[in-house]
Amino acid sequence: MAAKQFGAMFGAHLKMMFREKQVWFWSVFFPVILMVLFMIIFGGGGGSSEFKAKIAVVDASPNVSSGMLLEQIKSIPIFELTEGEPVTLEAGQTLVEEKEIDALIVLPEVEGTSEVGLIVNRENEGGATTQAISSIMSNFVQQANLAIAGVPPTYTLELESITTASEDTSYSDFLLTGMIGLSIAQGGLFGMGDLVDMRKRGLLKRLRMTPARMGLFGLSSMLVRLMLGIIQITILALVGVYGFGATLHINLLSLSVAFFAGALVFNAMGYLFSSFSKTMEAYMGMANITSMLMMFLSGIFFPVANLPEWLQVVPKVLPLSYFVEGMRDGLIYAEGIASSSFWIGMAIMAAWGIVCFLIAARLYKSQSIAATR
Amino acid sequence: MPVLEVSHLKKSFGAVHAVEDISFTVEAGEIFTIIGPNGAGKTTTLEMIEGLLPPDEGDIAFGAKKWSRNEEAIKNDIGVQPQSSALFDLLTVEENLKLFATFYDKSRPVADILEMINLTEHKNRHVKKLSGGQKQRLAIGLAMVNDPDIIFLDEPTTGLDPQARRNIWDIILRLKQLGKTTILTTHYMEEAEKLSDRVCIVDQGKVVTLDTPSALIDRLTKEREVRLSFLDGEQAAIETEAIAQRHPAVVRTVREGAALQIWTTQPEDTLYELFGYTKDRGYRVEQISIRELSLEDVFIAFTGKEWRD
Repeated sequence: MAAKQFGAMFGAHLKMMFREKQVWFWSVFFPVILMVLFMIIFGGGGGSSEFKAKIAVVDASPNVSSGMLLEQIKSIPIFELTEGEPVTLEAGQTLVEEKEIDALIVLPEVEGTSEVGLIVNRENEGGATTQAISSIMSNFVQQANLAIAGVPPTYTLELESITTASEDTSYSDFLLTGMIGLSIAQGGLFGMGDLVDMRKRGLLKRLRMTPARMGLFGLSSMLVRLMLGIIQITILALVGVYGFGATLHINLLSLSVAFFAGALVFNAMGYLFSSFSKTMEAYMGMANITSMLMMFLSGIFFPVANLPEWLQVVPKVLPLSYFVEGMRDGLIYAEGIASSSFWIGMAIMAAWGIVCFLIAARLYKSQSIAATR
Repeated sequence: MPVLEVSHLKKSFGAVHAVEDISFTVEAGEIFTIIGPNGAGKTTTLEMIEGLLPPDEGDIAFGAKKWSRNEEAIKNDIGVQPQSSALFDLLTVEENLKLFATFYDKSRPVADILEMINLTEHKNRHVKKLSGGQKQRLAIGLAMVNDPDIIFLDEPTTGLDPQARRNIWDIILRLKQLGKTTILTTHYMEEAEKLSDRVCIVDQGKVVTLDTPSALIDRLTKEREVRLSFLDGEQAAIETEAIAQRHPAVVRTVREGAALQIWTTQPEDTLYELFGYTKDRGYRVEQISIRELSLEDVFIAFTGKEWRD
């Protein structure tokens, strides 16, 4: 009896989900589009693109030291020298203004003590490229000074990149897992809109007039939602891996734990919103604000470390940060179950989920009459 | 044999006394209609009977069963069509019926219901593509999936066009033929008069009167409204009005041009006398009518309120 009822409810939820075009758009199509856009903008369109800076050099009055500097600049592989030869100051400034080049380097006009000028467009003053060029140049000038003074360098820097991943983690991997986490979170936040809609149209009340078990009804809806989550993970992962060369190292156990914890917490948040939203618009507004805030503060698109320091405390309390962290543990770092930070994250998420659920259940109960009328 | 006994129901929402004192008994196999102006407490009463709202005071008994002890059993015995036709829009007609059927211990075959609500042709259509009348029929169909003995229909025809309303009347009459008990609320007096075995008029949370439609109408004063209009212009109407006013059964008259309205306690007598006069004078009567008394008059008489559809 209960099994038959559950089967029918599950089937009904499944059909309703597949027939709702909005579900497909927001849970599958939209995250894919968003991911592709971010990959193209920040990931350099897939492949392994190197950092290159276009520069031009002004050598107004060529002399021995400027000639030496010019040769050395030419030999720096990441500098792409426009036209291969020095330009005039005016021509160089125009190039900077028109953003044809990232920076203009002005070599000293006289021998001996003088300065090397670096001209950049003000718009890009704080940009990563400018930072890189300026640090390369200051390092370069430093070395030139040392060379002139005849001091041999005591320390040299050797760069080696390491990561916790089995191989290395590229931005594609980072973004892909962030997007998977985000879309599952949104599925939960937005998915409970059904409940608001059903309540508004009297469907919840209608079901309460029958001997139907509401618990089974909720459970079957939850299961269908989890299935959608698995579909989201699969599609996004396929697009990420085959379209943008992301590499995944899956740990199924930690992935499942993180996935269920995430489904719980974001569905509970959605449930909470549904408990005090009288209309679909109110619900959607609430879900949108929450998802927007969390989207940019939880390390989906860029690492949390890039946030200003005073803001860094926020991601530490948001459940989405831990969810995305957990998903990354399960998808790219292939670890988790053994690490305590993973479990602390899961515990914080569970706490969020339980608190949201309890508040929502209380609100639902206190307004049960108003809610069903 | 009563299938439902409601006694002294009371329900308040804060300071609003929605239901003050409602009692009635519904017999097996009858169509029992509750009418009343908006805010009279009809829906609140129904929701208490349907087990959605606990009454503040009073008692509801389905035979020996009560909500407090036999919730599951009562839910299996009754079928409800709520005012807002709450349906799963993205499921088809048949899928809605089949889903609801799994909620109950017993069920009537879905094909049967489709035929009764005349939606067999549309059984594979998504609910959101149905017309208002079709949706309402499906909502009634859902109230029948468990083959209940008692069916509650809350304003099943509100907002439907005349043809769609007639289709629903047919379904309600079919249910009666099947021996079902129907408890109906409606906004349409004509509907209450045509369908109901008994009518319960509710106002301000109380039962104002309860009886068969014809008995209710009989209780009204015997004063009837007669309308006459003349082909020969105003003069004929003026003279006839003067004659009518002398007749002892006539209570009052109103004339507007060549049209005359006469209220009389003995319409036959009055008309006999008036026609004798008009025949003598050779006046030609264009139209004549005696207005029938309807439940609407009953409603106005008992509640003192104008009826608004």
